[in-house]
Amino acid sequence: MIIPDHFALLSLPRQVDIDRDALEARYLELAREFHPDRVVAADGAGQRAAVERSSELNEAYRTLRDPVRRAEYLCKLGGIDLESTDPKQGAPAMGHAFLLDMIERRERLAVARDGGDIEAFRGDVERELSAVTATAIAELRRERIRSAAEQLVARRYLQRLLDEVDAGS
Amino acid sequence: MADSLDTSALFQIEEPEAPRARRRAAGRAIGIDLGTTHSLVAVAPSGAAPRVLADAGGNVLVPSVVSYVGADTRVGVAARAEQVDHPQQVISSVKRFMGRSAQDIGFSHPYRIVSADGVIRFDVGGRRLTPIEVSAEILAVLRTRAEVELGGAVDGAVITVPAYFDDAQRQATKDAGRIAGLDVYRLLAEPTAAALAYGLDRGDTGLFAVYDLGGGTFDISVLRLREGVFQVLATGGDSALGGDDFDRALAAWLIERAGVTAPDHGQTAEALHVARAAKETLSSEDVVAVDLPRAGLAGFELTRAQLEAIVTPIARRTISPCRQALKDAGIAPEELDGVVLVGGSTRTPLVRRLVEQVFRREPLVDLDPDQVVAFGAAIQADILSGSPREGVTLLDVVPLSLGLETMGGIVEKIIARNSTIPIAARQVFTNYSEQQTAMTIHVVQGERELAADCKSLARFELRGIPRLPPSMARVEVVFQLDADALLTVTARELMTGAKQTVEVKPTYGLSAAEVDALVTESYDRAEEDFAARSSAEARVELGRVALAVRAALDDAGDDVSVLPAEEREQVVGALADADATLAAPSASGKATDAVRLRLETVSEPFARRRMERSLLSGMQGKRVEEVERAIDDEGDLDARRGGHGPELTGVGHDEG
Repeated sequence: MIIPDHFALLSLPRQVDIDRDALEARYLELAREFHPDRVVAADGAGQRAAVERSSELNEAYRTLRDPVRRAEYLCKLGGIDLESTDPKQGAPAMGHAFLLDMIERRERLAVARDGGDIEAFRGDVERELSAVTATAIAELRRERIRSAAEQLVARRYLQRLLDEVDAGS
Repeated sequence: MADSLDTSALFQIEEPEAPRARRRAAGRAIGIDLGTTHSLVAVAPSGAAPRVLADAGGNVLVPSVVSYVGADTRVGVAARAEQVDHPQQVISSVKRFMGRSAQDIGFSHPYRIVSADGVIRFDVGGRRLTPIEVSAEILAVLRTRAEVELGGAVDGAVITVPAYFDDAQRQATKDAGRIAGLDVYRLLAEPTAAALAYGLDRGDTGLFAVYDLGGGTFDISVLRLREGVFQVLATGGDSALGGDDFDRALAAWLIERAGVTAPDHGQTAEALHVARAAKETLSSEDVVAVDLPRAGLAGFELTRAQLEAIVTPIARRTISPCRQALKDAGIAPEELDGVVLVGGSTRTPLVRRLVEQVFRREPLVDLDPDQVVAFGAAIQADILSGSPREGVTLLDVVPLSLGLETMGGIVEKIIARNSTIPIAARQVFTNYSEQQTAMTIHVVQGERELAADCKSLARFELRGIPRLPPSMARVEVVFQLDADALLTVTARELMTGAKQTVEVKPTYGLSAAEVDALVTESYDRAEEDFAARSSAEARVELGRVALAVRAALDDAGDDVSVLPAEEREQVVGALADADATLAAPSASGKATDAVRLRLETVSEPFARRRMERSLLSGMQGKRVEEVERAIDDEGDLDARRGGHGPELTGVGHDEG
């Protein structure tokens, strides 16, 4: 199956750093053009095509405007799909050391909840999250896809931890 | 549910049913605000400014109340008047029941509800009606009002829904529209409609929040406007929170004050009416006298401070969704260019203060908060009817995430909330063993982690998966959300490419077949209603003309110079026909119109002669301007009469 390239659809070069203004301008232009409301006179097939084209456009926009989704998408285009568990083309398995770190972080969270400083803990995780995201983006600039993907998987672990802090559960 | 989702023939190639391609009639579309407490209809034909339509008495708001007392159904003010005496047969706030199961209804209500196959019905004494059918009665009244105004059939409608309505609630609303005989062009989010109406489209760019607190629902939307595109960035709310809750809280408090511990339905209904009126008065006054004759409370002085103490906890429930929407949109309150208030409940001073606190600015209130949503719906309806109207493009979002139940009852999100619609997402499933030839797909909507805590939209089984080694069979399931945020699921077996489309009818709605049956039934009834109305209008008109002719006959006496004998005979004959027609209530609109036209035709020379004569006699000894005024008055009368005839004739043609 040919993967429609979000970058091509939005007339942007396929790279991790994008021109946000160009993205917004192109999106608005195409959104106006593709929207089903613009083809009210079309027959059923025309309407359906408009819904499909708008859907693709909205998905492309949603992916590219967000730096993390954009980075994950570049990995996918580079042959590593973080949504997949395939050993070769799926999300890289995290190393033993990282998993031990995560266990340690969870223990710290439990302590922080139990009368410790939850805000300090949140701050620490947020800093780590920013750091791995920055590393992932730097790796993508050097076209080191696998290394970037590893950082992005680590980011997902940290994000989940942060969600748990916010949810208070 | 099961009948429409029988997927035993899953992997036969099947084209999804093509949407009906129908030419729309530009300029004949209406916008409907189907509210919890009241509803209204507006038009903005062919680029015109929107205007709301009133009934003969000048009332714009139709109370969203339907009475099933007796054989006939009544909607609006007449229905509301019967509520205190028949609390179980007069349905109000039906919007709260739309797309919901018996378990979802956690609020108190006086109705007898029967629930079967997940569908709830009101037992109104003999008849059992779904919330969809009750809503359709309200929509039909609004459609009729618009037909009288537009002088013929309505082509289609945009119906507004709370932004926070889920798939089931939206589907129920769309089905109600169909049953009311409307081609629903689009379901439009209420805050988005309000933003459109507010003329926010006139500015070049800006960030706006729309705070919409209606009778039964609360929405908050954050929108960005750029280059003719209205982009909803985030939306949030509570589809079971509104001004009705203020009324209920106040009513309960008043009943307690009256010393009644177990109020009956009549006492509760009375307290609710009184509470609503008192709340409205206290928006502008500081104190109001309250009487509850049934509960034995007389001359109680309720202050605004007391009201605010009672409703503050409810009003404060709107704060957290506002903060979440700002967060989801990624903006700080200071970045907003304006905050728009929508919904009658935003008239409450307490609510205004709260909005000011949260958004740190004074809200915009220059449009009537009751009408602004209908205005926006009418504008969008006009655009979608194909009118050459300079329109903005609306990019709305899905308010709640859509997901699938996976192992252990955990939800896997497929489409995230606040994704711009239309949007599609796909998920590939594999078999876990060669023996597996079927899999269950359970679609849920909501933000919670466990499927049991989310709204169940549909559950269906994919069968006919080829026997292949584990992980080799691959079924791709595509979720497609259209511009109404309604979901369609398509499943495709990737080895063969065969596919099947499943229209996701919510578990708590009606099946497609049931809706079709109701549409057919209501279509028949609509024709009856239409005929009855056009007949009634024709009778009124005929009566008016007959009265005028009879008066002229009396006035003319035996004067053959103004009415020759043979002409008199004709006029008298036509008048007798008119009397006979008026005495027969079954006469159709068309037949009645024909009698009136004949009477007008035969009496026309007579009328002209009378007018000439009165002018001539009047001129002797009268001043010129008085004569001119007399001519003008006659002219007005002619214009009124002339203006009315063709309209009725037009209605008759369309009906036939």
